[in-house]
Amino acid sequence: MKHSQLFASVFALAFSTASLADAISVDNCGEQLVFDKIPERIVVHDINMTDMAFALGLQDKMVGVTGITGWYKTSAEFDTLRGEIPELAPKYPSIENLVAAKPDMFVAGWYYGMKPGGDVTPDTLSPFGIKTLVLTESCVHLNKDRPEASMNLLFDDMLRLGKITGTEDKAQALVADWQRDLAEITAKVGDAKAQRVFLLDGPADKPFTSGKFAIPDAMIQAAGGTSVTHDMDTSWGRTSWEAVAASNPEFLVLLDYQTGNGAQDTFNFLQEHVTMSKTDAVKNARWIGLRYEELTPGPANIAAIAKIAKAMHPERF
Amino acid sequence: MRVPALLAGGITLLIALVLASIAVGSVTIPLADVTGALSRALDTAAASSEAGVMDSIVMDLRLPRTLFACLIGAGLGITGVLLQTATRNDLADPFLFGLSSGAATGAVLVITVTGDLLGIWTLPLAAFVGGMIAAVIVLALVGRLGSTAPEKLVLAGLAVSFLFSALTHFLIFAGDHRAAHSVVFWMLGGLGLARWSNILLVLAGFAAIFAFAITNHRKFDALLSGDTTAASLGVSVDRTRRQIFLFAAFSTAVFVSIAGVIGFVGLMVPHIARALVGVLHKHLIIMAALIGALLLTASDLVARVVLSPQELPIGVVTTALGTVFVFAMLLGAKRW
Repeated sequence: MKHSQLFASVFALAFSTASLADAISVDNCGEQLVFDKIPERIVVHDINMTDMAFALGLQDKMVGVTGITGWYKTSAEFDTLRGEIPELAPKYPSIENLVAAKPDMFVAGWYYGMKPGGDVTPDTLSPFGIKTLVLTESCVHLNKDRPEASMNLLFDDMLRLGKITGTEDKAQALVADWQRDLAEITAKVGDAKAQRVFLLDGPADKPFTSGKFAIPDAMIQAAGGTSVTHDMDTSWGRTSWEAVAASNPEFLVLLDYQTGNGAQDTFNFLQEHVTMSKTDAVKNARWIGLRYEELTPGPANIAAIAKIAKAMHPERF
Repeated sequence: MRVPALLAGGITLLIALVLASIAVGSVTIPLADVTGALSRALDTAAASSEAGVMDSIVMDLRLPRTLFACLIGAGLGITGVLLQTATRNDLADPFLFGLSSGAATGAVLVITVTGDLLGIWTLPLAAFVGGMIAAVIVLALVGRLGSTAPEKLVLAGLAVSFLFSALTHFLIFAGDHRAAHSVVFWMLGGLGLARWSNILLVLAGFAAIFAFAITNHRKFDALLSGDTTAASLGVSVDRTRRQIFLFAAFSTAVFVSIAGVIGFVGLMVPHIARALVGVLHKHLIIMAALIGALLLTASDLVARVVLSPQELPIGVVTTALGTVFVFAMLLGAKRW
């Protein structure tokens, strides 16, 4: 009797330490996010993070997406991958939208589905048993003490998502593929002279662009260029036409929201612009249009880097 | 005889709106589940076994939110009455003291510069402190003038308001441009942060202004008859005005810290209440509280339903209603 009790308690102890060791812990904007078990009901915000989840084949665990149709036209491929997963809110979700879907994990970022002090934040979701995995690129909105953008923003977020969802092998294989693709691009570009690149969100009175903490900064570098707004101490932010024109960009990356004529409209705007029209990039009509999910952290980044590199250094490809 | 009938009608309508507000939201929950959630919450024995997510939405999100709408609407309504009496200005409202821009400055400072040092309470606290600083500056300015003359107060409030707006926009441009999105919340308001954990704050804000208003209603009546008459009736005019400003600033700052700036409620409600029950404060205060609660509960309902599943900032609804109201007031034959 005594023995069996002892045995039971030892067994229980062993079991509990084992399950403790099973707990998965990942970095989440400098804090640890701990999962006792693999999340089974996931809601993902925005098209780029949804692409990450699709790349890992997490569809059967996704109980909803948010922030897709309110902003973008999706590709047929995306729609096929999404299948029957419902969209809980076309733009930013309310806390009610999320709680009703009974998720155990929400994948989003600051200004990617969440606003500081808003009604949907990791703090407001946790009482409902929802853990929030925050997009690493967006951590800088809460804490300025972050490293400059590198492609690790994509790689590490894929690995984190893989680790949490038990698809680490797949994530590692994908990242290895991407790193090989990147090395190929770098080899092809070789010693070609780095071009001065300006990224523009769209026509505006002040240019909205990417600073040193946003992933396009790293993408432009990987493609054999340097962003003329690299010195901006923000992720995405506004600068002035004066500053951009003075840096005389040689190549433009234009965000294509697929409205009207897309990036062509933005280029036409720059051709009409009194100062920007005098820059090399506009005079020589050297630009490329890329979609939102290609310029925010997600699997589409790698092919986008190849596109930029090819357009910038056509003689090398 | 007219007042009890109005009160009874108003309370009935409020109960109906409260029930509707609990039943309807950005997620569709069948009415049976809503009533089920409410009855399960009342019956504590069954609560643990059956309580699910839908129960949680009803009990933890919608119920506090509806109560917030009632308390904040009532509080803003009363504050509006007192300020219009104190300033003898039809356009006085609870945001007269630059409270709104002060609160926004506090919030944006946290978002762009300091980060949430104190966790989830950082933003509300910063907004409250910002609002109070703005109010104190206005009151100090007026104090230096040696009189509480209404038109000086309005001008001082306006100046401080612009000062803090400039500061807010400076912070946005110097820091993180995307903070501009968050500022929308403080400028237009919303009840999305309503929880049981912060309801005591809002209750305190409401209780302060309500208790102050009810206990001093005769003094406010005296103020209506002009400063000299009020003084001859034994009311200390300057002191009463200062008390009004202080209580109004405190309560409004509390409301702003949780719900942002909800415009026009404090401006409209006193006029409607006066049209219904006259200018004497005893009935006016109660009626303003009731109408404020009705208006904000209804506005929140509209804000949640009109673009469902997205939620509209509540200030968009109240401001739209307010504009229509001002047009009607300008064009209407009846002088409210």
